[in-house]
Amino acid sequence: MYHPSYNIGIEEEYQLIDPTNRELLGYVRQSMSRDLMVVNERTTATDFAQQIGSAVLEVGTPVCADIKEASVQLLRMRTQMLEFAQSNGCKVAASGTHPFSHWEGRNEVMPGYRAILEDAQMIARRILAFGLRVQIGVEDRELAVDVMNTMRYVLPHILCLATSSPFWNGRNTGLKSYRSVLMDALPRTGIPGSFASYQEYRSYIDTLVRTNSIPDASRVRYDILPHHRFPTLAVRICDMLPNYRDTLAITALIQATVAWMVDLRQRNMAFRTYERLLIAENKWRAVRYGLDGKLIDWGLEQMAPAPDLIRELLTFVTPFAQRLNSEDELAHVETILQRGANAEQQLQVWKNANHDTKAVVDFIVAETEKFL
Amino acid sequence: MIARPSLSLGIEEEYQIIDPETRGMRSFITQFIDNDRVIMVERELKPELHQSMVELGTPACSTVGQLKEELIKQRSFIVGLAAQKELAVVAAATHPFSSWLDQPVTPLPRYQGVLEEMQLLAQRLLIFGMHVHVGIEDRAFAIDAMNVVRYMLPHILALSTSSPFWLGRKTGLKSYRSVVFEDFPRSGIPDICRTVADYDNMVRSLANVGVIPDASKIWWDVRPHHKYPTLEFRICDICTRVDEAIAIAAIFQAIVLWLWKLRRKNLTFRIYRRDLIEENRWRASRYGLDGKMIDFGKSVEAPTRALIRELLDLISEEIDELETRAYIEPIERMLQNGTSADRQLRVFANTGDLKAVVDHLIAETKEGLV
Repeated sequence: MYHPSYNIGIEEEYQLIDPTNRELLGYVRQSMSRDLMVVNERTTATDFAQQIGSAVLEVGTPVCADIKEASVQLLRMRTQMLEFAQSNGCKVAASGTHPFSHWEGRNEVMPGYRAILEDAQMIARRILAFGLRVQIGVEDRELAVDVMNTMRYVLPHILCLATSSPFWNGRNTGLKSYRSVLMDALPRTGIPGSFASYQEYRSYIDTLVRTNSIPDASRVRYDILPHHRFPTLAVRICDMLPNYRDTLAITALIQATVAWMVDLRQRNMAFRTYERLLIAENKWRAVRYGLDGKLIDWGLEQMAPAPDLIRELLTFVTPFAQRLNSEDELAHVETILQRGANAEQQLQVWKNANHDTKAVVDFIVAETEKFL
Repeated sequence: MIARPSLSLGIEEEYQIIDPETRGMRSFITQFIDNDRVIMVERELKPELHQSMVELGTPACSTVGQLKEELIKQRSFIVGLAAQKELAVVAAATHPFSSWLDQPVTPLPRYQGVLEEMQLLAQRLLIFGMHVHVGIEDRAFAIDAMNVVRYMLPHILALSTSSPFWLGRKTGLKSYRSVVFEDFPRSGIPDICRTVADYDNMVRSLANVGVIPDASKIWWDVRPHHKYPTLEFRICDICTRVDEAIAIAAIFQAIVLWLWKLRRKNLTFRIYRRDLIEENRWRASRYGLDGKMIDFGKSVEAPTRALIRELLDLISEEIDELETRAYIEPIERMLQNGTSADRQLRVFANTGDLKAVVDHLIAETKEGLV
């Protein structure tokens, strides 16, 4: 009998903003080797890299037993980041892209980053895309792969709630999550294919390592994967979210969904495994239309408004939220459905401000600071 | 018994129309259709998404020799037509510096629809490919061949690379086009389809819910064509030189014949996961011929050139059977001197001038035409 811990880890990526012209000054994210990493836009004006060495900063929570503990840790982490920014005279934005910053002519200063740049060249510069990563403790690796296969289906639904990158280079992209497009241009990203067993998954990774395609499993960046180091399932389909309540709601939803999948398995049931291509079709719809669009119910083979399908998902997973002590956090999903996801809010602000993307930056910064 | 496929051939190419003064891309198609209806009779001219893009297709040809004649005729036609309007034609998968932001979108309903659906992504799609059709009448064999041939697609992509520049910059890639196109859903290397029914079910599922009208919106690197009895290879950048395009078409034809013969002997080339093949595809986009690719059978890396030579050895008997060895000769020259992308990069290294690259492309596009 499986008894996953369902414990929680949250990793975030923050943008540092010049409060005068709202430009992107740099960002803070976890490097693949788990060192902090900062990339400066203007090496002469700012030197975050040096300062960050002496500052107490984290971009990933420790392992949290439940959503309540995750909430405390997330707020602590964000507070530190805001304080660090304040002492450097800048602001923090927690969104999937910067609305108008141009990626051209950026200076990548950290040696760790150069390796990626060399690998993917022009495409790597496009990773000015900021994502939220949620990890849920699923200790048994075979079970993790099983959950991964089936849970792929609901990732587009989750993404609809977690879009925050409608703008790129000062332009309305017409999409809700342009970050997803940027990320999926990199190798080994997007919705993964299904794997018959953990063994098959390992053998895929081993082949890539043995043939020097990747140095280690951390370079595989699919939307959902068994974590390469921790006994967890990592979900990385979401854009960074400015409002921390959104982040917690998404985390609670992911956690409860994992619990639902495990419960099905324990009862000799399974959520149906669909072909990657069909799931990718829904992902595209989430990227393009977010909550305003329709997703395909592949069981019924018909389209339905995304909010309806998300509410249906909620009815399936809410019993598990009760057991996981996350009902309050999960209830906030309904607020997102009524209010619109962050991308929809940004677009509204943009329209109200006569298409001024600086006003959008102000909105993102204000949302990020709101909990203080 | 599965009948021998006809192995008939056809090539569709997408061309850039260039202003020889600025060397930038020029809008062209609409004038064409309004003023010059005769041309439409001569060859079907399909306006592509952007106005400065033209797509032309050869008729179905029974041999590589005939295909070469037709392709030369086709290119001569478009080059001559452009010359009448004092414009030039370039066959390369990206324009070295013209921006997609400046290109008007063709005002035809079907393309306005694409724009609405794909938004900013559709506007970025100022990229030019070559599609090669190989006649396979038996659908079951077409699906079988599709699964198998996925393995060789990155190798052929490496040979066809012609898009090292984008928006006036060196991308660091040899085929930037193949990466831009992956933004689209239903693109890239297909997943394995075990049977015709699998494939049909998938298309039917997508059509049932209205996300696509029919299989024409499956944009995979290789697909069974939705109308013609052909397997359509869509992975390639358009080749700048005619003889290189023909050499690649001849390889596709020989591969299909080879697979058919294997099948009759109860053999198959091994079928690998999409994720693994994508790994080689990425290497082809990034490094072209200069990199290494993975030999998944041996599970080791090997220089791409060596793997391409190995592939040519595998299909050597079929090349002789089809009497196409002379047409495949340019491949050896490419293995030694590089692809269109390599030549473009060399011109740029020598001149530092992207306009010189465009001039070079205009000249190469015309090479071998009558």
